[in-house]
Amino acid sequence: MSAAHHPVYTGGDAALSAVAEAIAEDWAAVGVRGSFLARNLDTGEQLGFDADEPVPLASVAKVPLALVVLDRIAAGELDAARPVTVDPRTSSVGPTGLAAFRHPATVAVGDLLLLMLSVSDNAAADALFDLVPAAETDARLRAWGCEGIRVRHRMNHLYECAAGAAGNDFSLALELAVRDEGTGRHTIETLDPAHANAGTAAALVGLLQRVWRDEISTPSTTAELRRLMGHQVFTQRLAGELRADTLRWSGKTGTFLHLRHEIGVVEADSGDRVAMAALTRATRRAGLAPDIDQAIGAAGRDAFEALRS
Amino acid sequence: MATAEEAGFSRAADRLGIAQPLLSRRVKTLEEYFGGPLFDRSRRQIETTELGVLLLPYARDVLDRAQRLRQVARSARRSRVRAVGVPADCAPAALARALRAGTEHGVTLGIRELPPPERESGLADGSLGYALVRTAPEQAAFQVPLGLASAPVPDGTATRRTLHLEELRPRRGRGAGRAAPPPLLLLTEDQVPYFEDRLARAAARAGLPEERIRPAGPAATALAETLAGHALLLCAEPFARQHGAHWTPLADHALHRGYDVRAAPGRDGTAAAPDWLAALLASAVGAVPHRGGPGPAAGREDAPARLAARG
Repeated sequence: MSAAHHPVYTGGDAALSAVAEAIAEDWAAVGVRGSFLARNLDTGEQLGFDADEPVPLASVAKVPLALVVLDRIAAGELDAARPVTVDPRTSSVGPTGLAAFRHPATVAVGDLLLLMLSVSDNAAADALFDLVPAAETDARLRAWGCEGIRVRHRMNHLYECAAGAAGNDFSLALELAVRDEGTGRHTIETLDPAHANAGTAAALVGLLQRVWRDEISTPSTTAELRRLMGHQVFTQRLAGELRADTLRWSGKTGTFLHLRHEIGVVEADSGDRVAMAALTRATRRAGLAPDIDQAIGAAGRDAFEALRS
Repeated sequence: MATAEEAGFSRAADRLGIAQPLLSRRVKTLEEYFGGPLFDRSRRQIETTELGVLLLPYARDVLDRAQRLRQVARSARRSRVRAVGVPADCAPAALARALRAGTEHGVTLGIRELPPPERESGLADGSLGYALVRTAPEQAAFQVPLGLASAPVPDGTATRRTLHLEELRPRRGRGAGRAAPPPLLLLTEDQVPYFEDRLARAAARAGLPEERIRPAGPAATALAETLAGHALLLCAEPFARQHGAHWTPLADHALHRGYDVRAAPGRDGTAAAPDWLAALLASAVGAVPHRGGPGPAAGREDAPARLAARG
C-alpha cells in the first residue's frame, strides 16, 4: 500500500522538484509518509508533495483556534484579561501545562493562548473552545475563505475517541491507527479527515502566508499570533535544523498516535521568509521515533535553503 | 512333522521343546480335523499312517511358508524408518548421536531438514514421525538463545554480553553521511508468524523502522553480507561461531527460539516422543537449560496523557 503510493510533487522548477523528491524518499526510508509544502512568502516559489491531501491536524488545530480567539479580542467581543478557572477534575487530558495541573488554576484568556501555543496545553485549548466553540471557529475560517481547514471538535475529543477504541492502552491505539491507515475505515474517529479537525498542507501554508503578510483579520491579531508562535518550546521537528542566531522559527507541532506534524515560518536576518507545513503519518508502531522528527527537520532545512534567495 | 521324522512322541516333543502331553493333544486335534489317524500307535514304535504320509509334503510346505512370513515381517520391522523433522543447521554430531540411540532402541531414524511450517504439517500428514516444532519460548520445553551475528571483531575488543534492540538505533551527530543502518536478516527458521510479529513489535517500540527487518534469503549469502559488515543476521550462537561471525545474544528472552519435540499422533490420537530422543534433538538444535526469569516485559501502565494530543 505505502509502496504503491506515488507522491504528487509541487515545485517551481526541476531543482525545486528534485528537493521535494529527495524529501519524500527520506521520509519513506524512515517509515513515514505525508504531505509537505514550503513557500517563500515574498517570491511565491514553493516545493512539496501531496499538499492537497486533508490530514487530521491534532494540535496544529490550535493555530486557527488562536487566530479566531485573537480576532474576537481585537473585535472587542472578548477580553484578553478575562480570568478563566481550569479545574483538573473537569479539564482536558494532556501531558503539559494546565492539562497536567493537579489543582485548580485561574488564568487570563490571553495567557491561555500562550500556554496553548507554547507548550500545546490541551486544557488551555479547550478552555478557549468553551469561549469560542468549534462550530464558530469553523464558520469564521469559512468567512475568511480558508478552504481546506476544518475545525470540528475540542482537543479532548482526540483523547476520548482513542480511549474509547483502545481503553487506556496506548500501544493498542497506535496499532489501530497504523492498521487503519489507507483502509478508509477509522476505528478512532478523530483519525478520519472527514470527521476530525483536518487540513491540507496547502491550506495551512496559505493561512501562515496571510498571517505573516497581515492579509487576514487585523494587523494586531496577526502580530500577536506571530509572537505567540515564536514562543513554542518544542524544537525536535521542523525547528531542529533551523536553529541559529541568524534564524527565527515560529511554529506549532501536532502529535497524536502515529501523526507527527508541524507548521511554521522561518525568518532569517537576511530577510528571507519561508512558510512550511509538514503533515506526516508513520507506518511504525513507535510512540517515540526521533529519527522521524529528524527527517522532518532535515526537510525543513533543505526546503528553506532551496527557496531562500 | 517332527513326530513322523523322529518316529516317537517323546523325541519329537524334546526337539520342539514342548511337553509330550501337549504334543499328543495337538496331534489329536489334527487327526480330528483331517478325519482320520495320522499315526499308528498300536506297535511299540509308532508309524505314520497312509493318510499321514500323504499329507507330510504339504505340511512341510505350509511350515516353510510360515517361517518365511515371519522372516519378512522381522526384516520389515527392522528397516522401517521414522522420519524426524529438524531445523536447518543442527549440530551434525548431536544428530549422529540421535541416530545411534535410535538403533539401540530398535528404531531407524531418518533426519529431514525442513522449515518450521513443513515440520508441523509433516507431523499432521504422517510423513514425519517426530519433529522439533517452533513454539513461543516461554511455553516451550527447550529454548535456544537468538542473537545477532555481525562481522568478526579484532581480538581484545570489549564485547557486550547482551544486546538490546534500542541499541541498534543510528547515533546522531557522529560521523557524516546518511549511510543506511545495516538491515536485520531473518533466516527461514525464524520466519514464523508469531515470531515475526513479536520481533516487529519489539523493533517498533525500540525505535527501529520495521523495514530494517528483512528475510535473509539463502543462508550463505546472508552470512557473506554479515561477515562483510553489511548486515546483521539473527541466528543461534553455534551457527555464528561455526562461520566465524561475532555473536551477541538478544537480552529479551521473549525473542529467543522455543522448541517442543512432538510425535505424529498415533491411531489412538496420542502423541509422545520418547524422552531419549527429545533430549538429543534439543542438544542438536543448541538448546540451553530452561531459565526462569521474567517473561516478556509486562505492559507498563500507559498514562492517559499518552492518548491525548501531544505537542
